[in-house]
Amino acid sequence: MNNIWKSAKLDFSLVKPYVKTICLIMILPIVFAAVNRSLLTGISFAMCLIAKTTGYTFSITEKNSMERLYGILPIRKSDMVIGRYIFMIIMGFAALIFSLVAHPILLTILGETISIFDCMNAASIGIFLFALYTVFQLPGYYKLGSIKGRVFLYIPVAGFLITLLPITQIPVGESKLLFTVINSPALLMLLAVIFVIVMYVISILVSIKILKNKEV
Amino acid sequence: MNNYLEVRNLSKSFESFQLRDITFSLPKGYIMGLIGPNGSGKTTTIKLILNMLKRTSGEVKILGFDNITNEQEAKRNLGVVFDSNYFSDEWKISQVEKSVSSFYENWDTQKFSETLKRFHIQPSKRVKELSKGMQMKLMLACAFSYDAKLLILDEPTSGLDPVSRDELLNILSEYIEDGEHSVLFSTHITGDLERAADYITYISYGELFFSGGKDEFIDRFRIVKGGCEELSADLGKKMIGIRNFSTGFEALVKTEDLKQFAHLNVEPATIDDIVVFTSKRGEQYE
Repeated sequence: MNNIWKSAKLDFSLVKPYVKTICLIMILPIVFAAVNRSLLTGISFAMCLIAKTTGYTFSITEKNSMERLYGILPIRKSDMVIGRYIFMIIMGFAALIFSLVAHPILLTILGETISIFDCMNAASIGIFLFALYTVFQLPGYYKLGSIKGRVFLYIPVAGFLITLLPITQIPVGESKLLFTVINSPALLMLLAVIFVIVMYVISILVSIKILKNKEV
Repeated sequence: MNNYLEVRNLSKSFESFQLRDITFSLPKGYIMGLIGPNGSGKTTTIKLILNMLKRTSGEVKILGFDNITNEQEAKRNLGVVFDSNYFSDEWKISQVEKSVSSFYENWDTQKFSETLKRFHIQPSKRVKELSKGMQMKLMLACAFSYDAKLLILDEPTSGLDPVSRDELLNILSEYIEDGEHSVLFSTHITGDLERAADYITYISYGELFFSGGKDEFIDRFRIVKGGCEELSADLGKKMIGIRNFSTGFEALVKTEDLKQFAHLNVEPATIDDIVVFTSKRGEQYE
């Protein structure tokens, strides 16, 4: 088995005793979606919550001084980091699939009409939010630990506010490129995918560098 | 390969502490005790060997592999036991095996089960339910299951009761019996060294004081005892450490300087004597 998968498997075994808690957390967004009668807000909330649970592996590692175990295993530090990202992405996808099944069923029971397009739209935004949170959060955890590293959760929020102001001042009609992008869902999706991949690559590289320089 | 562990000119600088030019080697088939007072640099040396700390300079070879450039190969046959457990408290013993075994190609499940049985560890128990001694044995059981050639233990006996300590030392002695395994263990319980160690590496104030055979180490020093009137300034300069009493003194001296102390009572030194007197660095105390 590849070392990256072994590392992801080890991370899963850390979180395994807490799977029930994580599943319970996932009920909250269902309630949220039901109250708001909105699939988009429900899925977005679910993905933000699951992004926050990615700190579990770091907390458990710190609580049990398991950085010493990671330090003696015959595995490269880069494989450990990539393994953790893969595990986190798997967790995110599991939460997304669960939400994409549970939320539409509940909303349909409540009398809402949910189309495939609504699901795809909500899933895209959910994935984007999850990626946005985790790409900042994980290097933060590697650098500062599971408690201090939480501060990195607020970077996307701050980033939104900072970028929102100049974006609203751009006259869309005058920019052909911006107009084309906004009016083409396929192009917008493609750009979002590229953006997410680039963000993850940078985040992984930063985390590897932090871990390689970290002294246990 | 004769040496399972080679450490050459290993140095590490912290703001408040420096480990300087540590050089020693551990031959295949032997046990080496890494000793020194608290804060002397034992754990730092071990962490540098394991590449958990970045060295300032020097070189470390584990089973012939550089511990940084060939880290994976070096760690494949390395077992490590720390003074406290490094598994998740929530894991059951069977989960420990599931989580760790995949990283070692030569993991032997049967051997793991047998070792657990021998150590009286129930696989259904959780790590947090084990005593400190049992957790130590669990870490050892893992190392034995992939037949780690070199075992590094950081203060494994601290916090263990005498029975568990005795048991652990027996296990280590058995482990090297076939001549294919080696052990490096740090301790400040010198009784453990008298019993189990073949070699001693003594680090004091971040510097290497001695590395070599245990008997040679003990034989290098003597304790001299005399009355107050027998202690002169010239003799004092030759003493490594001295303890004054109201009626006289006792001091640690080098065996090679013994001729100058011929008029005094001479006794063999214990490892404890050597560590205590050298740690005081000639400082006189009541």
